[in-house]
Amino acid sequence: MMETVLLKNIENPNSADIAEYKKVGGYRSIGKALGMEPQKVIDEVKRAGLRGRGGAGFPVAMKWTFASADPKFPKYLLCNADEGEPGTFKDRPILEKNPHLLIEGMVISGHALKAEYGYIYLRGEYPAAKHILNAAIKQAYDNNLLGENILGKGITFHLAVHQGAGAYICGEETALIESLEGDKGQPRIKPPFPVNVGVFSKPTVVNNVETLSNLPYIIEVGGEAYAKIGTPDCPGPKIFCVSGHVEKPGVYELPMGTKLKDIIYTHCGGIRGGKKLKAVIPGGISTPVLPPEKIDCAMDFVNMPKNGSMLGSGAVIVMDETVCLVKVCYRALKFFEHESCGKCTPCREGTGWLRSILGRIENGEGADGDIEALLTISANMLGKTFCPLGDGAASVVQNFIKHFRPEFEEHIKAKKCAVSG
Amino acid sequence: MITVTINDKEIKLEKAVTVLEAARSAGITIPTLCYHEQLERYGGCRLCLVEVEKMPRLQTACTLMVADGMVVRTETEQIADVRRGILEFLLINHPLDCPYCDKAGECTLQDLVEKYGPGKGRFKEKKRKVPESLQDPVIVRNMERCIMCTRCVRMCEGPQGASAIAVINRGGHSHIEPFSGGRFDCEYCGNCVSVCPVGAIMSRLHRHSYRPWQVKEQYETVCPYCGVGCTVITQVRDDVIKRVIPKLGSSVNNGMLCSRGRFGYEFVGDNDRLTTPLIRKNGVLAEATWEEAITLVAKKLSEIKIASGSEAIAGIASPRCTNEDNYVFQKFMRAVIGSNNIDTTARTGYAGAQSFIENIFGQGATANIISGLANSDTVMVIGGDPTTVNPILGLQIRACARRGGNVLTIGDFAGLSKFSPKKLLPGKYTETILLEAIVTALREKKGLSGSNGPLESKIKDISVTAADAAAKCGVPEQQLSAFVDLLAGAATYSLVIGKEIVQSTGGSYKLLLLAAINYLANGRIYMLTEKANEQGALDMGCAPDLLPGYRPVAFPEFAKKYGAQWHAEISEKPGLNLFAMIDAAENGSLKAMYVMGENAVCNIPNSGRVEKALKNLDFLVVQDIFLTETAKLADVVLPALAWAEKGGTFTNMERRIQLVRKSVQREGLEDWKIIAEIAKNMGYGMEYVSSEGVFHEIAKVSPLYRDLTYEDIGKGENIYPYKGEPLRDVKEDIQVDTASAVASAGKLYLQIERPLFHSGTLSTRAASLRNIYPQAVARISSATAKALSLTEGDVVNVRTKAGSLSLFVAIDKDGDSSAVAISNNFERKGAFRLADYALDQVTKAPCIDAVEISIEKVTA
Amino acid sequence: MFSSAAIQEIEDIRAKYPNARAALLPAIYVAQREFGWLPPEAYEAVADLLNVPKATVRGVATFYAMYKQKPMGRHLIQLCTNVSCMILGAERLVDLLKSAYGVEPGGVSPDGRFSLVIMECIGACGTAPAMLVNDDFHENLTEKNLQEILEKYK
Ligand SMILES: Cc1cc2nc3c(=O)[nH]c(=O)nc-3n(C[C@H](O)[C@H](O)[C@H](O)COP(=O)(O)O)c2cc1C
Ligand code: SF4
Ligand code: FES
Repeated sequence: MMETVLLKNIENPNSADIAEYKKVGGYRSIGKALGMEPQKVIDEVKRAGLRGRGGAGFPVAMKWTFASADPKFPKYLLCNADEGEPGTFKDRPILEKNPHLLIEGMVISGHALKAEYGYIYLRGEYPAAKHILNAAIKQAYDNNLLGENILGKGITFHLAVHQGAGAYICGEETALIESLEGDKGQPRIKPPFPVNVGVFSKPTVVNNVETLSNLPYIIEVGGEAYAKIGTPDCPGPKIFCVSGHVEKPGVYELPMGTKLKDIIYTHCGGIRGGKKLKAVIPGGISTPVLPPEKIDCAMDFVNMPKNGSMLGSGAVIVMDETVCLVKVCYRALKFFEHESCGKCTPCREGTGWLRSILGRIENGEGADGDIEALLTISANMLGKTFCPLGDGAASVVQNFIKHFRPEFEEHIKAKKCAVSG
Repeated sequence: MITVTINDKEIKLEKAVTVLEAARSAGITIPTLCYHEQLERYGGCRLCLVEVEKMPRLQTACTLMVADGMVVRTETEQIADVRRGILEFLLINHPLDCPYCDKAGECTLQDLVEKYGPGKGRFKEKKRKVPESLQDPVIVRNMERCIMCTRCVRMCEGPQGASAIAVINRGGHSHIEPFSGGRFDCEYCGNCVSVCPVGAIMSRLHRHSYRPWQVKEQYETVCPYCGVGCTVITQVRDDVIKRVIPKLGSSVNNGMLCSRGRFGYEFVGDNDRLTTPLIRKNGVLAEATWEEAITLVAKKLSEIKIASGSEAIAGIASPRCTNEDNYVFQKFMRAVIGSNNIDTTARTGYAGAQSFIENIFGQGATANIISGLANSDTVMVIGGDPTTVNPILGLQIRACARRGGNVLTIGDFAGLSKFSPKKLLPGKYTETILLEAIVTALREKKGLSGSNGPLESKIKDISVTAADAAAKCGVPEQQLSAFVDLLAGAATYSLVIGKEIVQSTGGSYKLLLLAAINYLANGRIYMLTEKANEQGALDMGCAPDLLPGYRPVAFPEFAKKYGAQWHAEISEKPGLNLFAMIDAAENGSLKAMYVMGENAVCNIPNSGRVEKALKNLDFLVVQDIFLTETAKLADVVLPALAWAEKGGTFTNMERRIQLVRKSVQREGLEDWKIIAEIAKNMGYGMEYVSSEGVFHEIAKVSPLYRDLTYEDIGKGENIYPYKGEPLRDVKEDIQVDTASAVASAGKLYLQIERPLFHSGTLSTRAASLRNIYPQAVARISSATAKALSLTEGDVVNVRTKAGSLSLFVAIDKDGDSSAVAISNNFERKGAFRLADYALDQVTKAPCIDAVEISIEKVTA
Repeated sequence: MFSSAAIQEIEDIRAKYPNARAALLPAIYVAQREFGWLPPEAYEAVADLLNVPKATVRGVATFYAMYKQKPMGRHLIQLCTNVSCMILGAERLVDLLKSAYGVEPGGVSPDGRFSLVIMECIGACGTAPAMLVNDDFHENLTEKNLQEILEKYK
């Protein structure tokens, strides 16, 4: 097992305390980074090949370069701690157990970007994390690790927590910005991109919690050493969060590119109770479901798409033979319907329509033509929605039917569920 | 230069626009629903998706900016499928009630479905059901028809700036709320109605009364209410105005209207309209024929002229009548009656204030383009809430704020308060000192350039320090200096002056100080004006001292010149102004009065006294469209045609001359025609065949309108300076009246409320505006209410030296605790019944800011 | 109206942002805490305090699931039924809450003790099924331990 970077020391019940964090080497990188030219920090991140951990895998150094090059000031650094993708619970341990790692990462990033203000957009469902983060931020201020003239290096960085209020879409970066500005979390037209016109109309970088938490380590060991972890295209450690029918669900910090099969069978102890694996959702509910024959695949941003799915947030949901997949698909669409922001037609109307057809099928009221309807409705959504949420909803339906069509047909024919009765 | 190819057509563009705009410029239509040219880009409906080469996904044409070399396709088979799919989504929750829906025939959704399908529905689930709502007095809402394009919300938050509605809930449960209810700041402008592409938000006024395709005629004309002069389109069926809508692209209001403009047209067809002349017989007004009435008026006026002289007769012209009406009327007074006793209620503020300002800066100083306000970097407002007096002008100030401009106010104006204005709130009657302090500070910062000697000589010695001002006005020093810094730093500054300044004690001195600020900050001046043609009535010479085109009657060469043109002898003696007329009527030296289109009793302060004075006349003629409280006093009442029933021109506050077009046919005579008939009866020929004929004469006689024609005006050659002769630009020494008022602690003072929903008494004849704002109230602050143990809806007696009224109490929690605000819109309940006044010695405007008022509860 | 402590709290929050509008979400939280839920007075109080239009406040507040449009019970149970929790039995817990406390999803128990809100994922999938009671996470729920846990909330 490799040395943990992101989940380091989380077994320690006091890991959120600054003293404990410092004991294991915390806040050592901050001084080093603040002594570097901002551009040098960006260069180091570029060498590290760090890609965003929020789902899209966008190269971090590239995003930073755009924002840094924009002449407008002030600039903002936003930490995306909305973690709303169902099945995802990878950021929570950092937020609750290792808040100083994130703060240190944000100060370093802020310096690289010449941003003086940062906000952590924290989902409303994490009340404990809010208190922990606020306490940690206070400690950091008290120790001159935040605020003005940090560690006497003439650098300013202010940080505050902004609590969301229950809207998955606020994880999308422009919706997050709207929400931070006190509006509904509805995505904005791009371009302009946040790196140029972001929060308060200023250049803004949005990065995921896990992404930012990699910074202290990159500065500590250097980009080159860091890039040796994981795969060449996708270096670094990755937190996988595994739920469902495995023996040992939980968070696992493993190198990028660890095989899905190994995560399930080696790290998580295999399927619970020796049952048979039926399906895996590899990267959070929006990512395409995989049948058992497709799990021999490296979990990273490059290989998963080739395998017909996506790495997403690294949220692996494992389902054994007792699970009715029509029901899972129905529940997923219920989620998308609930979370559709309502801005664009296909998502606002389509998610509800899909959900109601799936609900009928699940309830034994399916009819001939329902599967065709599901496929055409979702096809009418795919690629036509304003943001990826609607695409996610449509692709869930398409992929469940693609891999498990007989189960849907069976429901419609038998007017009941073969698995749960 | 950017070159894009859309559907194989090469389009060259000067600057980057959206693909949609580029396509439209080349005559290519791309269907849209959420897009609207007045609103910010949204990209929500997804109907405008197009194919763009080298872009993997379809793109919304309404949001994508063109780039050089872009190749776009808008009508492929794939796209037709996509549109059908989107429309299917929109229809799953949309009722199929087109046969019943008033929007059918002008519904974008209906049109698009016709074009792209889907032919039949396959939605088997339950449709959303939302009952129709008639909670709102002017809007009917049918939210199950809503397609969530959010155009109404973007309109309300954006150009209108009311933010009275919002999308409530999210996703498929979204709907739009709450419109009515006052509680949520609805301004009842109905601009949401304009932009709704389906039948979800419609005007209640014509509900189920016609179908869009039954509208056979529509006319572009000018709103009859305020001095902004919005371009409106009247839609008519069977000689009834069914709907008034704003004109998109109009340089005045570009698609926007206020509640008065949109919903206030019903007075035209009101059942209370006068239909026949009335003659007082045995003390009561009885119906008479036109012939009887005209002969009687001519006879009586001739008799009085002979018996008591021309100067015993006076005329009040009308800021609601056309230029043609007013021109003919003043000519009648001058050439036929032989006196310069002609004036209008513009005398209560606008007339004097404008000439005061013009005397300092030259003629046309207040003729500035309204839309320029939005582009100013700094706008200062004083003396009235522009968003209620001249709503569409108010929107331009909101737009300035939205674009990041500074809005500075002296006083608190509710309609601007959401736009983070920088406010200075001087204590009661201390405005003068505050203005002096601003002048002092600004002069020190900017210095005097020497370009306006007379003005500089008046202000060079003013010296009030910020500390003085703080002590005397209660405005903190640093607030004042921040305010002055913004004024000093302004590159494009505009000043908006409301009537409250003009009608205040020492008003002319305050105007001088404001002129000085404007001079030092190098800005433009806008003077709010309440009625549609105040400017025009003045231009036409409806003033006791000025002939058409502002030629002083006292200059013999002008009196001669006009006399020659009119074939009459024109007196060189300036006539009585509005207030002098009332005095003269009261003391008996004035024997007869002719009032055209003016509710003089209501609209001249101290109405009780005006009423008595008019009763004292030997002969009163009132020409109007309603039996107003003034008409009720008349010996002869002459019914006129209303706006919408006649043609002519109005001149707005920008000095833009606009055509008022006849929309509906009604039996009767135009105001000018009635007067011409009387003139003929008195032996003076006025042979005009049409209002255009009258305008020909105006264009010949008035140097200001020299050589203009209706055709020129129709083409837009209608903005001051016109092509006439250069105007008089005599700068006289500047006189001011420095009277001041002193507030006594704990006393209440009368304040004139100028509500958004009314304008004069005319608007109270429009049923829908009456539904919104039904009756006069005494509006007091919560503090006053508490002190006097009053609650909303109590009946109180309000009393001043001039009179008393019994009114319902309304409580305004942010109200000024020294004020009782009463509007002057409801007959017999108007604030002017309470308003005793002194005149400003220079502007001759009534000072009605220092009227002490007492309130007591009436116990049932 | 707000208590003066609440007004102070909102002012403090306001200071963290470059403009008042950005303080809207946290201010609505404060209002919700003060009023127990969001009655019209709550919107209006927030609107007045931050000088944001009332309709806007209402629009924003109703967009977010955690702002409550109805009066709440003394304790708020937020139970996740999203996929990971569902496949590990969350629905049975919903049934149990109905039968044991008479509380329906979206409703309040007849004794006013509990409100139940069905949540989308609450980030406790590895220890599913899970719920939040007020601000506390409770994970690895079973029909057996659910009632024991709720005993603590009177
Ligand atoms: C519907 C939707 C939901 C998202 N939710 C999250 C989220 O909860 N957390 C997150 O970090 N990124 C989320 N993202 C991705 C963000 O938009 C953005 O890509 C990310 O915050 C960038 O950070 P990174 O580059 O560090 O990954 C979401 C994207 C979409 C389209
Ligand atoms: S009342 Fe004034 S602002 Fe309103 S529509 Fe008429 S002219 Fe325009
Ligand atoms: S018109 Fe372009 S998305 Fe609606």
